[in-house]
Amino acid sequence: MTNHWIDLKNSDAIFIIGCNPAENHPISFKWIEEAMDKGAKLIVVDPRYTRSASKADIYAQIRPGTDIAFLGGMINYALQNNLIHEEYVREYTNAPFIISEKYDFKDGMFCSFDEQEKTYDLKSLAYELGPDGKPRRDNSMKDPRCVLQLMKKHFSRYDVDKVCSITGTKKEDYLKVAQAFCGTGRADKAGTLLYAMGITQSTHGTQNVRATAMLQTLLGNIGIAGGGVNALRGESNVQGSTDYGLLFHLLPGYLKSPEFDNVDLKSYIDKWTPQTKDGRSANWWGNTPKYITSLLKAWYGDNATQANDFCYSYLPKRMGSYAYNKIMDKMLAGGLEGLVCMGMNPAVGGPDSGNARTALSKLKWLVTVDLWETETSIFWKRPGVNPSDIQTEVFMLPAASSVEKEGSISNSGRWAQWRYKAVEPVGHSMSDLWIIDQFFKRVRNLYSKEKGAFPEPITKLAWNYGNGHEPDVHLVAKEINGYFTKDTTIVDKDKTLEFKKGDQVPMFKYLQADGSTTSGCWVYSGSYTKEGNQMARRDQSDPTGLGLFPKWSWCWPVNRRIIYNRASVNTAGEPFNPKRALIAWDGLEKKWKGDVPDGPWPPMKDDKEGKYPFIMLPEGHARLYALDLKDGPFPEHYEPMESPSRNQLSRTQNNPVVKLPKNVSSDTVKFPFIGTTYRMTEHWQTGGMTRSVPWLVELVPDMFVEISESLAKQKGFRKGDKVKVTTERGTIEAVVLITSRLKPFNVEGKMIEQVGMPWHFGYAGTAKGDSANMLTPSVGCANTSIPEFKAFLCNIEKGGSKA
Amino acid sequence: MTAAARIIINEVKSYHNFLKFMIGLVVLAVLASAVRFIFGLGSTTNMNDTYPWGLWISFDVVTAVPLAAGAFTLGAIVHCFHIKKLEPLVRPAIVTGFLGYSLVCIGLLLDLGQPHKGWHTLVYWNVHSPMFEVSMCVMAYTTVLFLEFLSPVCEKFGYHMPLRVLRWLEMPLVIAAASISTLHQSSLGTFFLIAVDKLHNLWYNPLLPLQFWMSAIFTGMSIIILEATMVHRYLGQPDESELLEVLTKILPWVLGAYLTVKIAAMAFLSHGPLFDRPVLLALFLVEVIVGVIMPMVMFMKESNREDNRMQLRGASMIIFGVVLNRFNVSMFGMIQADQVIYYPSIVESLVTIGIIAGHILFFVLLAKYFPIFEHHPETVDYSLPDHFHEVDGHEQAKGVEA
Amino acid sequence: MSGNSKDFSKQRTFLIDTTKCTGCRGCQVACKQWNQLGAENTKFFSGEGYQNPPAMSEYTFTRIKFKDYQKNGQNEFAFYKEMCMHCNEPACASVCPVGAFVKTPEGPVVYNAGRCIGCRFCMIACPFGIPKYEWSKAFPLVKKCTGCYGRVKEGLQPACATTCPTAISYGSRSDMIAEAERRLKNRPKHYYPAIYGKEEAGGTSVIYLTHQPLDELGFKPVTTRPLPSYTWQALRLVPGIFLTMGGGLSLISWFNHRKERIKQEEAFKNSKVAPETAETKTREENQ
Ligand SMILES: Nc1nc2c(c(=O)[nH]1)N[C@H]1C(S)=C(S)[C@@H](COP(=O)(O)OP(=O)(O)OC[C@H]3O[C@@H](n4cnc5c(=O)[nH]c(N)nc54)[C@H](O)[C@@H]3O)O[C@H]1N2
Ligand SMILES: Nc1nc2c(c(=O)[nH]1)N[C@H]1C(S)=C(S)[C@@H](COP(=O)(O)OP(=O)(O)OC[C@H]3O[C@@H](n4cnc5c(=O)[nH]c(N)nc54)[C@H](O)[C@@H]3O)O[C@H]1N2
Ligand code: SF4
Ligand code: SF4
Ligand code: SF4
Ligand code: SF4
Ligand code: SF4
Ligand SMILES: [Mo]
Repeated sequence: MTNHWIDLKNSDAIFIIGCNPAENHPISFKWIEEAMDKGAKLIVVDPRYTRSASKADIYAQIRPGTDIAFLGGMINYALQNNLIHEEYVREYTNAPFIISEKYDFKDGMFCSFDEQEKTYDLKSLAYELGPDGKPRRDNSMKDPRCVLQLMKKHFSRYDVDKVCSITGTKKEDYLKVAQAFCGTGRADKAGTLLYAMGITQSTHGTQNVRATAMLQTLLGNIGIAGGGVNALRGESNVQGSTDYGLLFHLLPGYLKSPEFDNVDLKSYIDKWTPQTKDGRSANWWGNTPKYITSLLKAWYGDNATQANDFCYSYLPKRMGSYAYNKIMDKMLAGGLEGLVCMGMNPAVGGPDSGNARTALSKLKWLVTVDLWETETSIFWKRPGVNPSDIQTEVFMLPAASSVEKEGSISNSGRWAQWRYKAVEPVGHSMSDLWIIDQFFKRVRNLYSKEKGAFPEPITKLAWNYGNGHEPDVHLVAKEINGYFTKDTTIVDKDKTLEFKKGDQVPMFKYLQADGSTTSGCWVYSGSYTKEGNQMARRDQSDPTGLGLFPKWSWCWPVNRRIIYNRASVNTAGEPFNPKRALIAWDGLEKKWKGDVPDGPWPPMKDDKEGKYPFIMLPEGHARLYALDLKDGPFPEHYEPMESPSRNQLSRTQNNPVVKLPKNVSSDTVKFPFIGTTYRMTEHWQTGGMTRSVPWLVELVPDMFVEISESLAKQKGFRKGDKVKVTTERGTIEAVVLITSRLKPFNVEGKMIEQVGMPWHFGYAGTAKGDSANMLTPSVGCANTSIPEFKAFLCNIEKGGSKA
Repeated sequence: MTAAARIIINEVKSYHNFLKFMIGLVVLAVLASAVRFIFGLGSTTNMNDTYPWGLWISFDVVTAVPLAAGAFTLGAIVHCFHIKKLEPLVRPAIVTGFLGYSLVCIGLLLDLGQPHKGWHTLVYWNVHSPMFEVSMCVMAYTTVLFLEFLSPVCEKFGYHMPLRVLRWLEMPLVIAAASISTLHQSSLGTFFLIAVDKLHNLWYNPLLPLQFWMSAIFTGMSIIILEATMVHRYLGQPDESELLEVLTKILPWVLGAYLTVKIAAMAFLSHGPLFDRPVLLALFLVEVIVGVIMPMVMFMKESNREDNRMQLRGASMIIFGVVLNRFNVSMFGMIQADQVIYYPSIVESLVTIGIIAGHILFFVLLAKYFPIFEHHPETVDYSLPDHFHEVDGHEQAKGVEA
Repeated sequence: MSGNSKDFSKQRTFLIDTTKCTGCRGCQVACKQWNQLGAENTKFFSGEGYQNPPAMSEYTFTRIKFKDYQKNGQNEFAFYKEMCMHCNEPACASVCPVGAFVKTPEGPVVYNAGRCIGCRFCMIACPFGIPKYEWSKAFPLVKKCTGCYGRVKEGLQPACATTCPTAISYGSRSDMIAEAERRLKNRPKHYYPAIYGKEEAGGTSVIYLTHQPLDELGFKPVTTRPLPSYTWQALRLVPGIFLTMGGGLSLISWFNHRKERIKQEEAFKNSKVAPETAETKTREENQ
């Protein structure tokens, strides 16, 4: 989230697209309702009429996988009707930037596509640089090669009729959405956009997200109170795990993980430290050397020295993709010896899980660390297999649950909130920290004793978390924050600061590239300082009245509650909307008031010191035109991999940079219906956490599929009938729920039915049922590899063995 | 012991087959009651949260109470209004009443979830509760009936002293019986006043208690007619139809008054639709036409009043009408349009059938072993003897010695 | 039931704004957890939407009802919480022969299991069908929402209200009614213009706001008069009737008997015998 949960209350229009917060993030509705009480409009765009939709002022139905068309149409609507926040767009975005002459777009494809590699040559799609090395710009935004004009041209194809014909949305509903939300493109209005898996789980998921960001940027809704692009994060600490480098291409703090050709620290830094010739751009990633060095110091401690490149060579280097589907492919091919599955249940949660279950049996050993016996830990005795055929040795380590251990949890709003242990762990279960600690210590001892091919990355690790039975979680948190490794004096503008060896670093501004500081995750630097554990703060004061609660827990970065907040003021530092002033420049005191600003510099107008607001980008301007996405600079509508429709906008049916896996089929004779999967309030994910809790099982006891009344009529189903759902990948059985909340989509005049399924069921626990993921395709987003769980083709028939 | 048992067995063997059948039904009911306590109310009855009250309350309590109203009606007629002619009918009526109320109590104990706490009503008073009122009354009235019932028992064993006390108590008891009955017969109607939005308007109105009381009166009389006729037919007792004519003369007046109150209450005091539920309307019409209007018209004609067959027919219709009325109020009229229909389970039915059988059985047995019909009031001296005090003193002295 | 003279404005009251209810059913689960109630054994869904379990019961003190229908081509998906209304003048308490139900001064209507005899009159009386019975037991008790009296007494909010993200407010009755009225005034188009429970059954400690018309959601139309008053108008006559009846009959029979006695005494004077005395004596001697 650029903003945070409470900030939803400051909105004038709340645009929910591709998420269902009433069901999956129920508490969010507390703030949404508060906004609505003050007159805000709620807009919900979803294939189904959900519990969120039931609260909406405007609901529009959308065919799964067509969000770019929907949002592209809104971008077009805003541009055509001049509803954009012009000053904001001109000053703070790359709309005036001139793009390289080579830029071209034809029939759904950008220029310079390599058919063989299925990649674009991104250099041909870059900014045109001026003689000063800075991107050239036309502040009148009239130049036909400026971003705004290219954008106008690109999205002019997304007229309302075309869009509705693609998305299946009723025209009047579509216009209502466009009018209501584009109406926030004014200084005195704020519109927020909420999204989650309905947007991301697509072969063009990243471009979906970009479309939301572009719309919000055009409307001047980013960086302001009540605005933002807000990803409703999933697992309770998934924000934290992403911050700490969960993804294969990232190290903690969103530092890139080294690639095979980043042979030493210098080449790593050269590759990943962006440069700018524009002195007014803060280019915050220019600090990459400080952060990577501090990270290496945190990991390897005194072993990391300038002389040995801070042990950079111990880091694994990657080549290609290590995404989930790639790991599964490799496992299936017998390429993996063992798997540690810590708090994850791939036998139910991953796409094409029939394949995943088979893949598990190719392992020599499997360790599951979980609260429960999950489908993954009992995959070897799942229905339909003979356990004696499976040789995998399975170890189940019982883990302590979140209330049985102390530590921090980061929510979607980037708040790291400290939690205390409420009860002792049940039975033999241990905290994950203890388990990892033991893992490490035992492996290190083995390496020390038996040596090995390359023991140093393990044996040289600094591992100082106390001598107790349980590692001291406060020491972990302090290491993440970072400390000085020697006495240091820092001159910061007019101040001179003295630090002693071992002092906590007050914030990441003071991290150094010379090894004098450590930090386990630079964005969290400042969370555990000399003043104590900032994450444990519980002060409810709210000086701005906007619900920022600056002294409640701690928020990265630097306790900034709304990021890009320098875009909420004009170039003179005066709030666009004084009624919801997030920050304001106090010219007398020469400082900012309100939220922690994106950097201390004076407003942009200040010729000497002023800086652009989007400090994380080298050009300092929000990118309406993207430079580094694999599928091109502008979002373009493509159909999902399995689609009942041709692409009505071009002859490029699917995202051209995504490779098609084998078991995908768009045969609409065999599979005439759109299948989609989603969550519901009553269950959690793969169901391990909920399907054995009787009170929750009572609420949703069985696997079911939802279909429209018209499909039920066509098929002769009655509520409660047993049915079979089939895709190219498998068949499942479920009970049918017939509802007017699901309706067919009108695609080019043809009514196309949808079959909706929760994906919470499996063969472990008390309430058992077939897994929807037996049906889903293992094909992912071009940029992130997130699987296309939301749009596939299926058939539905009466019966099944359990009928 | 064995000898005694053998005597009992031989005695029972000598009974008429009908009685044996009744004994069989009672035994079945006892077994069914055991089943209820072992397996719980839920699994043995068809009662549930939609039907918290089933057959047991509707019949064993709400209907059985007016059916046992003969005693107080007749008591008042004979003793207070001094229509001495009917005296011979009093004792059988008292016996019926006593049996009836005892069985009501048994039915209630089966129905209560916590029968062992039944005595709580005596301790934790809630004067706002018609149930409290009724239970106090039923307890008091059962005691009264018991005392009244002691007369034939004492006569049988020749206990003259208590007999005298009882006779001395007779008037107060009769008056108490009538007053208490008025209260609880009407309060049974009060039960349903709380069901404002549940009981259908055909029955719901604020005069329900009055109607319940009035109908108890004519039911009491009808039961006496029924009973006397049955006893005449099957137990070889004398034909009392001449006496019963007194009752059939009163009946049209009471029925007429009742009908007037009922129609007036419906017309002026009920709110909302009356004729929206055809089934309920039919039930209502049957209840009123068969149970009230037809017998009323019948007994307006002298020849019908005198004819024992017509007496029986009219009384039966009235009884049928009241049973239906009580079911209409306590069950049918409470069923909402969208509810599934309740029907009693086997256990519930067996218990209720057993209660009815028990009633008949015990009545016959009592009649067999106690002077219920041999009672000749005309020859009995009602005054306290002059030497009463002497005897009393003697008795007490003996008690002290012992 | 003294009724109108009582002041209920301070009593703790739930304001349930169904327009804000997301149907998350946190309240339903929180209630089971706090009261340690068993789960029901359900299959599929029992009502509209995802509604489960099929009904309130001894195990379910509160439940979210789902309404899933179409009106003028527009979907309606509505949710509302069913629970004891904690009536100002509760029918359940008034009919209970042993006073097992009590309206506490704080607001909740509580149940004293130790007293209950299990007559189930409360179940008949409750206009909202709230009290449920432990049908599975041989000696069952009544079960219903306790209003979390234990929590309320400690200054906490009820478990369901604490859990609810959006729809439940809890406070004094006057504050809740004022808040409900404020919302109605603030967003007249958003709300159906009625506060259910403000007047129903003489006023309750649970009041509702809705978007859809009340009858569409299945809210029962209930009399606005306190229910106990319906019974009491008859019951209050009891002492009077008893005295009138007893007195009247005494008078009548005294009168009739006097006539009789005079007749008898005359007859007695004529034949001076005490027929039973001798007999009694012999019998007693024989014993
Ligand atoms: N109760 C509960 N809460 C949860 C979870 C849970 O399992 N249970 N999971 C957590 C996790 S890990 C996550 S990631 C989040 C996810 O939260 P959400 O993203 O809200 O979850 P989903 O239900 O998968 O998808 C949201 C909605 O997207 C709609 N949708 C499907 N396809 C499309 C499409 O093409 N376009 C658009 N616009 N909408 C589409 C679906 O109908 C669905 O209503 O929830 C978190 N919260
Ligand atoms: N069809 C379909 N599939 C999907 C999705 C979809 O929308 N549709 N959504 C996807 C999304 S967004 C996600 S995030 C994934 C989630 O997929 P998974 O992460 O595999 O699913 P979970 O059920 O959340 O698995 C988490 C496990 O962690 C355990 N656990 C809980 N707390 C702890 C703890 O403290 N320590 C340890 N060691 N274990 C713990 C739980 O018991 C549970 O078994 O599923 C994806 N799969
Ligand atoms: S489950 Fe937890 S994280 Fe999700 S909405 Fe509820 S309180 Fe928030
Ligand atoms: S709703 Fe029913 S149970 Fe609750 S207080 Fe009112 S009458 Fe009693
Ligand atoms: S069942 Fe219990 S609480 Fe209900 S009225 Fe009877 S005694 Fe009172
Ligand atoms: S007040 Fe307490 S008992 Fe009543 S529904 Fe809420 S949580 Fe359950
Ligand atoms: S907790 Fe609140 S929002 Fe959720 S279902 Fe209950 S009343 Fe509705
Ligand atoms: Mo997720």
